[in-house]
Amino acid sequence: MSASPDRASHESIVEIRTEAGPAMIPTIRAVAADLAGRADFDLDAISDLRMAVDETCATLVSIAAPESTLTCRFTVVPDMIEVEAAVTMASGQGTDAVATDTFGWRVLQTLADNVGVLELPGTDSAATQVGIRLVKRAVTDQR
Amino acid sequence: MTESAPRSGHLSTHVSTPSPGRVIVHVSGEVDTLTAPELDAALDRQLDGPATSLVLDLTGVGFLASSGLAVLIKAAHVAEERGVALSLVTANRAVVRPLEVTKTAGMFTIHDSLVTAEAALDRDGTGSSEH
Repeated sequence: MSASPDRASHESIVEIRTEAGPAMIPTIRAVAADLAGRADFDLDAISDLRMAVDETCATLVSIAAPESTLTCRFTVVPDMIEVEAAVTMASGQGTDAVATDTFGWRVLQTLADNVGVLELPGTDSAATQVGIRLVKRAVTDQR
Repeated sequence: MTESAPRSGHLSTHVSTPSPGRVIVHVSGEVDTLTAPELDAALDRQLDGPATSLVLDLTGVGFLASSGLAVLIKAAHVAEERGVALSLVTANRAVVRPLEVTKTAGMFTIHDSLVTAEAALDRDGTGSSEH
Protein backbone atom coordinates (compact mmCIF):
# COMPACT_ATOMS: atom_id res chain seq x y z
CA MET A 1 0.00 0.00 0.00
CA SER A 2 1.43 3.36 -0.95
CA ALA A 3 0.19 6.82 -0.07
CA SER A 4 1.06 10.07 -1.81
CA PRO A 5 -0.31 12.95 0.24
CA ASP A 6 -1.00 16.20 -1.54
CA ARG A 7 0.50 15.18 -4.83
CA ALA A 8 -1.76 17.61 -6.55
CA SER A 9 -3.00 20.50 -4.45
CA HIS A 10 -5.76 18.74 -2.51
CA GLU A 11 -5.52 15.23 -3.79
CA SER A 12 -4.20 12.17 -2.05
CA ILE A 13 -3.86 8.74 -3.54
CA VAL A 14 -3.83 5.40 -1.80
CA GLU A 15 -3.23 2.29 -3.84
CA ILE A 16 -3.59 -1.28 -2.62
CA ARG A 17 -2.22 -4.22 -4.56
CA THR A 18 -3.07 -7.69 -3.38
CA GLU A 19 -3.75 -11.20 -4.51
CA ALA A 20 -7.00 -11.27 -6.53
CA GLY A 21 -8.87 -13.44 -4.03
CA PRO A 22 -11.60 -12.82 -1.49
CA ALA A 23 -9.36 -12.95 1.58
CA MET A 24 -8.16 -9.34 1.45
CA ILE A 25 -11.49 -7.73 0.52
CA PRO A 26 -12.41 -7.03 4.18
CA THR A 27 -9.14 -5.09 4.50
CA ILE A 28 -9.73 -3.11 1.30
CA ARG A 29 -13.29 -2.10 2.30
CA ALA A 30 -11.99 -1.12 5.76
CA VAL A 31 -9.41 1.16 4.12
CA ALA A 32 -12.20 2.69 2.02
CA ALA A 33 -14.29 3.39 5.13
CA ASP A 34 -11.30 4.83 6.95
CA LEU A 35 -10.43 7.19 4.07
CA ALA A 36 -14.06 8.32 3.84
CA GLY A 37 -14.22 8.94 7.59
CA ARG A 38 -11.05 11.05 7.50
CA ALA A 39 -12.43 12.96 4.50
CA ASP A 40 -15.50 13.92 6.59
CA PHE A 41 -17.98 11.83 4.61
CA ASP A 42 -21.36 11.59 6.31
CA LEU A 43 -22.13 8.27 8.01
CA ASP A 44 -24.44 7.02 5.26
CA ALA A 45 -21.85 7.89 2.61
CA ILE A 46 -19.15 6.00 4.55
CA SER A 47 -21.43 2.96 4.77
CA ASP A 48 -22.30 3.20 1.07
CA LEU A 49 -18.67 3.50 -0.02
CA ARG A 50 -17.62 0.52 2.11
CA MET A 51 -20.35 -1.60 0.54
CA ALA A 52 -19.62 -0.31 -2.99
CA VAL A 53 -15.91 -1.08 -2.69
CA ASP A 54 -16.73 -4.54 -1.37
CA GLU A 55 -19.05 -5.21 -4.32
CA THR A 56 -16.51 -3.85 -6.80
CA CYS A 57 -13.70 -6.04 -5.48
CA ALA A 58 -15.91 -9.14 -5.17
CA THR A 59 -17.08 -8.70 -8.78
CA LEU A 60 -13.54 -8.35 -10.13
CA VAL A 61 -12.12 -11.19 -8.04
CA SER A 62 -14.78 -13.52 -9.45
CA ILE A 63 -13.48 -13.02 -13.00
CA ALA A 64 -9.77 -12.66 -12.24
CA ALA A 65 -7.11 -14.98 -13.59
CA PRO A 66 -5.68 -17.41 -11.03
CA GLU A 67 -2.79 -15.94 -9.03
CA SER A 68 -3.31 -12.51 -10.54
CA THR A 69 -3.27 -9.17 -8.76
CA LEU A 70 -6.14 -6.95 -7.68
CA THR A 71 -5.26 -3.27 -7.75
CA CYS A 72 -7.47 -0.80 -5.94
CA ARG A 73 -6.64 2.88 -6.16
CA PHE A 74 -8.41 5.54 -4.10
CA THR A 75 -8.11 9.17 -5.11
CA VAL A 76 -9.34 11.43 -2.34
CA VAL A 77 -10.19 14.98 -3.36
CA PRO A 78 -12.28 17.47 -1.39
CA ASP A 79 -15.83 16.12 -0.97
CA MET A 80 -15.29 13.08 -3.17
CA ILE A 81 -13.47 9.77 -3.45
CA GLU A 82 -12.79 8.08 -6.77
CA VAL A 83 -12.09 4.36 -6.76
CA GLU A 84 -10.48 2.48 -9.63
CA ALA A 85 -10.06 -1.24 -9.19
CA ALA A 86 -8.68 -3.66 -11.77
CA VAL A 87 -7.69 -7.27 -12.30
CA THR A 88 -6.25 -9.39 -15.07
CA MET A 89 -9.07 -11.48 -16.47
CA ALA A 90 -9.05 -15.24 -16.58
CA SER A 91 -8.38 -16.49 -20.12
CA GLY A 92 -11.42 -16.76 -22.34
CA GLN A 93 -13.17 -13.82 -20.69
CA GLY A 94 -14.28 -10.96 -22.90
CA THR A 95 -14.62 -7.32 -21.96
CA ASP A 96 -18.25 -8.08 -21.13
CA ALA A 97 -17.04 -10.27 -18.25
CA VAL A 98 -18.26 -7.72 -15.71
CA ALA A 99 -21.93 -8.65 -15.57
CA THR A 100 -24.06 -5.53 -15.31
CA ASP A 101 -27.41 -7.33 -15.24
CA THR A 102 -26.97 -8.69 -11.70
CA PHE A 103 -28.45 -7.76 -8.35
CA GLY A 104 -24.94 -6.83 -7.17
CA TRP A 105 -24.42 -4.37 -10.03
CA ARG A 106 -27.80 -2.73 -9.43
CA VAL A 107 -26.87 -2.31 -5.77
CA LEU A 108 -23.54 -0.84 -6.82
CA GLN A 109 -25.30 1.69 -9.05
CA THR A 110 -27.50 2.67 -6.14
CA LEU A 111 -24.61 3.06 -3.72
CA ALA A 112 -22.22 5.03 -5.91
CA ASP A 113 -22.83 8.46 -7.44
CA ASN A 114 -21.27 7.17 -10.63
CA VAL A 115 -20.05 3.73 -11.65
CA GLY A 116 -18.80 2.14 -14.84
CA VAL A 117 -16.73 -0.65 -16.32
CA LEU A 118 -13.22 0.26 -17.42
CA GLU A 119 -11.77 -1.48 -20.43
CA LEU A 120 -8.06 -1.25 -19.94
CA PRO A 121 -5.46 -1.78 -22.63
CA GLY A 122 -3.68 -5.05 -21.85
CA THR A 123 0.05 -5.40 -22.10
CA ASP A 124 -0.52 -8.28 -24.48
CA SER A 125 -3.50 -10.16 -25.85
CA ALA A 126 -3.08 -13.00 -23.34
CA ALA A 127 -3.54 -10.77 -20.29
CA THR A 128 -6.47 -8.41 -20.64
CA GLN A 129 -7.18 -6.07 -17.78
CA VAL A 130 -10.66 -5.10 -16.75
CA GLY A 131 -11.67 -2.62 -14.11
CA ILE A 132 -14.47 -0.79 -12.36
CA ARG A 133 -14.42 2.91 -11.61
CA LEU A 134 -16.75 4.55 -9.16
CA VAL A 135 -17.19 7.95 -7.58
CA LYS A 136 -18.72 8.63 -4.19
CA ARG A 137 -19.47 12.09 -2.87
CA ALA A 138 -19.03 12.98 0.80
CA VAL A 139 -22.61 14.10 1.24
CA THR A 140 -25.43 11.63 0.70
CA ASP A 141 -28.32 12.73 -1.48
CA GLN A 142 -31.58 12.72 0.42
CA ARG A 143 -33.48 10.00 -1.35
CA MET B 1 -25.12 -24.76 18.27
CA THR B 2 -22.27 -22.49 17.32
CA GLU B 3 -20.57 -22.23 13.98
CA SER B 4 -17.62 -20.00 13.43
CA ALA B 5 -15.18 -19.37 10.65
CA PRO B 6 -11.82 -17.99 11.74
CA ARG B 7 -11.05 -15.80 8.76
CA SER B 8 -10.85 -12.10 8.12
CA GLY B 9 -14.47 -11.59 7.07
CA HIS B 10 -15.70 -13.86 9.83
CA LEU B 11 -19.26 -14.78 10.74
CA SER B 12 -20.76 -16.80 13.53
CA THR B 13 -24.30 -17.99 14.00
CA HIS B 14 -25.95 -19.32 17.12
CA VAL B 15 -29.47 -20.71 17.33
CA SER B 16 -31.76 -20.53 20.34
CA THR B 17 -35.31 -21.78 20.77
CA PRO B 18 -36.97 -19.68 23.49
CA SER B 19 -40.38 -21.30 23.06
CA PRO B 20 -41.94 -24.03 20.90
CA GLY B 21 -42.16 -22.93 17.28
CA ARG B 22 -40.03 -19.86 17.81
CA VAL B 23 -36.41 -19.88 16.67
CA ILE B 24 -33.88 -17.09 17.05
CA VAL B 25 -30.77 -17.09 14.88
CA HIS B 26 -28.14 -14.80 16.38
CA VAL B 27 -25.66 -13.65 13.78
CA SER B 28 -22.45 -11.79 14.44
CA GLY B 29 -19.55 -10.76 12.26
CA GLU B 30 -19.56 -9.66 8.63
CA VAL B 31 -21.88 -10.98 5.93
CA ASP B 32 -20.03 -10.78 2.62
CA THR B 33 -19.22 -12.96 -0.39
CA LEU B 34 -17.17 -15.31 1.77
CA THR B 35 -19.64 -15.72 4.61
CA ALA B 36 -23.06 -15.25 2.95
CA PRO B 37 -23.30 -18.97 1.99
CA GLU B 38 -22.87 -19.85 5.66
CA LEU B 39 -25.77 -17.59 6.66
CA ASP B 40 -27.84 -18.93 3.76
CA ALA B 41 -27.30 -22.50 4.98
CA ALA B 42 -28.12 -21.59 8.59
CA LEU B 43 -31.39 -19.93 7.53
CA ASP B 44 -32.32 -22.80 5.19
CA ARG B 45 -31.94 -25.25 8.07
CA GLN B 46 -34.37 -23.26 10.20
CA LEU B 47 -36.84 -22.59 7.38
CA ASP B 48 -36.87 -26.34 6.66
CA GLY B 49 -37.63 -27.03 10.32
CA PRO B 50 -40.79 -26.80 12.41
CA ALA B 51 -40.42 -23.12 13.32
CA THR B 52 -43.48 -20.94 12.81
CA SER B 53 -41.61 -17.79 13.67
CA LEU B 54 -38.00 -17.01 12.92
CA VAL B 55 -36.19 -14.06 14.46
CA LEU B 56 -32.93 -13.11 12.82
CA ASP B 57 -30.88 -11.19 15.36
CA LEU B 58 -28.41 -9.09 13.35
CA THR B 59 -27.38 -6.91 16.29
CA GLY B 60 -23.81 -8.18 16.04
CA VAL B 61 -23.47 -7.73 12.29
CA GLY B 62 -20.92 -5.06 11.39
CA PHE B 63 -21.11 -5.34 7.61
CA LEU B 64 -23.72 -6.50 5.11
CA ALA B 65 -22.69 -6.87 1.46
CA SER B 66 -25.11 -7.22 -1.46
CA SER B 67 -24.49 -10.99 -1.29
CA GLY B 68 -25.73 -10.91 2.32
CA LEU B 69 -28.69 -8.78 1.34
CA ALA B 70 -29.56 -11.34 -1.34
CA VAL B 71 -29.59 -14.07 1.34
CA LEU B 72 -32.00 -12.04 3.48
CA ILE B 73 -34.30 -11.37 0.52
CA LYS B 74 -34.33 -15.06 -0.40
CA ALA B 75 -35.13 -15.96 3.23
CA ALA B 76 -38.03 -13.49 3.18
CA HIS B 77 -39.48 -15.18 0.08
CA VAL B 78 -39.05 -18.70 1.48
CA ALA B 79 -40.52 -17.68 4.85
CA GLU B 80 -43.55 -16.20 3.13
CA GLU B 81 -44.07 -19.35 1.04
CA ARG B 82 -43.93 -21.53 4.13
CA GLY B 83 -46.00 -19.29 6.36
CA VAL B 84 -43.12 -18.57 8.71
CA ALA B 85 -43.15 -15.15 10.39
CA LEU B 86 -39.68 -13.72 9.76
CA SER B 87 -38.45 -10.71 11.66
CA LEU B 88 -35.10 -8.95 11.72
CA VAL B 89 -33.50 -7.33 14.74
CA THR B 90 -31.09 -4.53 13.99
CA ALA B 91 -30.42 -0.95 14.93
CA ASN B 92 -27.06 -0.88 13.25
CA ARG B 93 -26.37 1.38 10.28
CA ALA B 94 -24.25 -1.38 8.68
CA VAL B 95 -27.49 -3.36 8.23
CA VAL B 96 -30.19 -0.69 8.15
CA ARG B 97 -28.47 1.43 5.49
CA PRO B 98 -28.15 -1.35 2.88
CA LEU B 99 -31.82 -2.25 3.43
CA GLU B 100 -32.89 1.38 3.03
CA VAL B 101 -30.70 2.29 0.09
CA THR B 102 -31.88 -0.75 -1.88
CA LYS B 103 -35.49 -0.12 -0.83
CA THR B 104 -35.80 -3.67 0.49
CA ALA B 105 -36.52 -2.74 4.12
CA GLY B 106 -40.25 -3.01 3.37
CA MET B 107 -39.89 -6.75 2.77
CA PHE B 108 -39.10 -7.30 6.43
CA THR B 109 -40.56 -6.78 9.85
CA ILE B 110 -37.70 -4.95 11.55
CA HIS B 111 -37.26 -4.38 15.27
CA ASP B 112 -34.50 -2.44 16.96
CA SER B 113 -34.09 -4.93 19.80
CA LEU B 114 -34.68 -8.57 20.52
CA VAL B 115 -36.97 -7.58 23.38
CA THR B 116 -39.36 -5.68 21.10
CA ALA B 117 -39.21 -8.45 18.48
CA GLU B 118 -40.20 -11.08 21.03
CA ALA B 119 -42.85 -8.84 22.58
CA ALA B 120 -44.41 -8.36 19.14
CA LEU B 121 -44.52 -12.13 18.58
CA ASP B 122 -45.99 -12.70 22.07
CA ARG B 123 -48.70 -10.15 21.34
CA ASP B 124 -49.59 -11.72 17.99
CA GLY B 125 -49.20 -15.36 18.98
CA THR B 126 -46.85 -16.96 16.50
CA GLY B 127 -48.43 -15.15 13.55
CA SER B 128 -46.98 -12.25 11.66
CA SER B 129 -46.15 -9.11 13.55
CA GLU B 130 -46.17 -5.45 12.76
CA HIS B 131 -44.63 -2.59 14.66
